[in-house]
Amino acid sequence: MAMTPVENLEDLYENAPCGYLSLAPDGRIVKANATFSAWIGFSQHELCEKRLHDLLNVAGRIFFETHFAPLLRMQGFFNEVALDFVTNDGSKIPVLANAMERRDDEGGLLFTRITISKAADRRRYERELVDARAAAEAAKRELQALNASLETRIQHAVEERFRMEESLMREREMSELREQFIAILGHDLRNPLASFGGALRMLRRERLTPQGERLLDLLQGSILRMAGLIDNVLDFARGRLGGGIGLNIKSEPLQPVLEQVVGELRAASPDANIEADFAISKPVPCDHVRVGQLASNLLGNALTHGDRNQAIRLQAITEQDEFVLWVGNKGKPIPQIAMKRLFQPFVRGGASGQGLGLGLHIASEIAKAHGGTLTAESSNVETRFTFRMPLARARDEVRTVSQRSR
Amino acid sequence: MSVLHRNNVRITGSGDRPVIFAHGFGCDQNMWRLVHPAFEPRFKVVLFDHVGAGRSDLTAYRSDKYASLSGYAEDLIEIARELELRDVIFVGHSVSAMIGVLASIRAPDVFESMVLVGPSPCYINDGDYVGGFTETEIEELLDSLADNYMGWSAAMAPAIMGNPDRPELAEELTNSFCRTDPDIAKEFARVTFTSDNRADLPKVGARSLILQCRDDVIASEQVGRYVHDRLPQSQMTILNATGHCPNLSAPKEVISAIDGFV
Repeated sequence: MAMTPVENLEDLYENAPCGYLSLAPDGRIVKANATFSAWIGFSQHELCEKRLHDLLNVAGRIFFETHFAPLLRMQGFFNEVALDFVTNDGSKIPVLANAMERRDDEGGLLFTRITISKAADRRRYERELVDARAAAEAAKRELQALNASLETRIQHAVEERFRMEESLMREREMSELREQFIAILGHDLRNPLASFGGALRMLRRERLTPQGERLLDLLQGSILRMAGLIDNVLDFARGRLGGGIGLNIKSEPLQPVLEQVVGELRAASPDANIEADFAISKPVPCDHVRVGQLASNLLGNALTHGDRNQAIRLQAITEQDEFVLWVGNKGKPIPQIAMKRLFQPFVRGGASGQGLGLGLHIASEIAKAHGGTLTAESSNVETRFTFRMPLARARDEVRTVSQRSR
Repeated sequence: MSVLHRNNVRITGSGDRPVIFAHGFGCDQNMWRLVHPAFEPRFKVVLFDHVGAGRSDLTAYRSDKYASLSGYAEDLIEIARELELRDVIFVGHSVSAMIGVLASIRAPDVFESMVLVGPSPCYINDGDYVGGFTETEIEELLDSLADNYMGWSAAMAPAIMGNPDRPELAEELTNSFCRTDPDIAKEFARVTFTSDNRADLPKVGARSLILQCRDDVIASEQVGRYVHDRLPQSQMTILNATGHCPNLSAPKEVISAIDGFV
């Protein structure tokens, strides 16, 4: 049977699993155990010539003096103070120290006893905690900054959205106003004109003097021209205000429409000589009213500017893959300089004070809307306006234009 | 906001002549607990905590104001003006010695005499001047604050609270230490240990007493002599006490030195 070993108090002090230091009231080390001596690298004898300060780094010294020493004086002990000791070879030992004052019966300070435990792992852990806290706080600040910037960005986006909606609303209001304006304009101008026309037809049934008949012819011509002007003004307004020229494509025969236009103009200008020639052998998919308007505008232009004593000619034919309609008149040629601006709005030709200068512009726009062209040639022999419109391509392009313009 | 609340000002004593006690870096007005009672019978004793320390109003702390000792000096003057004190005997420990120097230059009408305990106008060595520390050492100190606050401020409190014999002391200290905001302490340490008030010393008009401990690792005797040489009307007393806090370690010596001076 093994003997139970007897604990040796001297050995317990010297080789305890912690360091022991005893300080005199002036801070000098008066006793240190072997464990501490081994840790710090000074012999016990060497230690007794030092003060606690000498074993601390600068930060530790200042902290000890400003914090731990006052605490020790006030309450007679301190626990779990973190310190760094500096060893004989200059390396650092992080420790936790507990201290207690030993006083005599009269309260005079005899010793300060300090126990020292190594705390490298604990210090590392604390350091990590501090670092983690710093990282968390940095992350928090970053998050706050991000939040702030997000809020600003959202606010900007919302404001932008509001602005866009507002401008969209304004746009819509404008568009509605425009439609109303155009509708009212058309209605208000056309209605009285329709009354004129109705009255004129009723007057035709009356028995009239030849003078009266002539006056009625003049009136009818004026009504027709006025209706054309109104159409042009409305189309121009639509085009300029953003509505575009709308097309209503039909494939019904075009010739009757054109014949009617020619008939109306003949009736309105009885003294003029209009020769019409049709060779439409294929369906022409187009907006009949618009093409009629184009023809009417070209004829009206010829009647206004051409030589009244010579025939005005209109020809409408389908070629291989094109529909071609031209109107020619005799008379003074269009000056070269005017040719360039012929299809711009409000350009009025020569001496006659008639029209707004919209007829050719609208005709040109109608041609474009059909994917075609309107060109002019003018010489001493003839002034001729030619509308060409592709038949094959027409469908697609016309539809596209038509959709875009709606 | 009341200045008296901001600085946790306490007034005791039955005399007329005012003594203001100011604590240094690391503690609060408790630093004077063993000294001020001796003056109560004959003086009006004024104790306070610097903003950021003890039971001061932490919400009054502003990094820009307290980035220099002048901010603390302003507070000291405000306290004296608020209490309408004249011919004040100012007793300042450690960094508060320099705070008092600055205040007395700014408000010479308030301060009649100064007692500077362990003063240092500059802790960092500069050419021939020996402040006691190199710049690197001070940076090391400031860097180490984080470690020490983890091991000390947080861990100390429960131990003190568990001291059943002296509950009043425990509570005071616990409150004081628990309320030491680590960030404020770090800034106070920086302003304390990086200030240089050497040029201000000759401007002081009040008479002054320097109390110097032997073996003070924070403010050496050499630094004390430097202050004594440059303060116009100063005397110096070397105490037998060691360390930086004679107000705690040798209160009787401190009391009799102050008594002899006033």
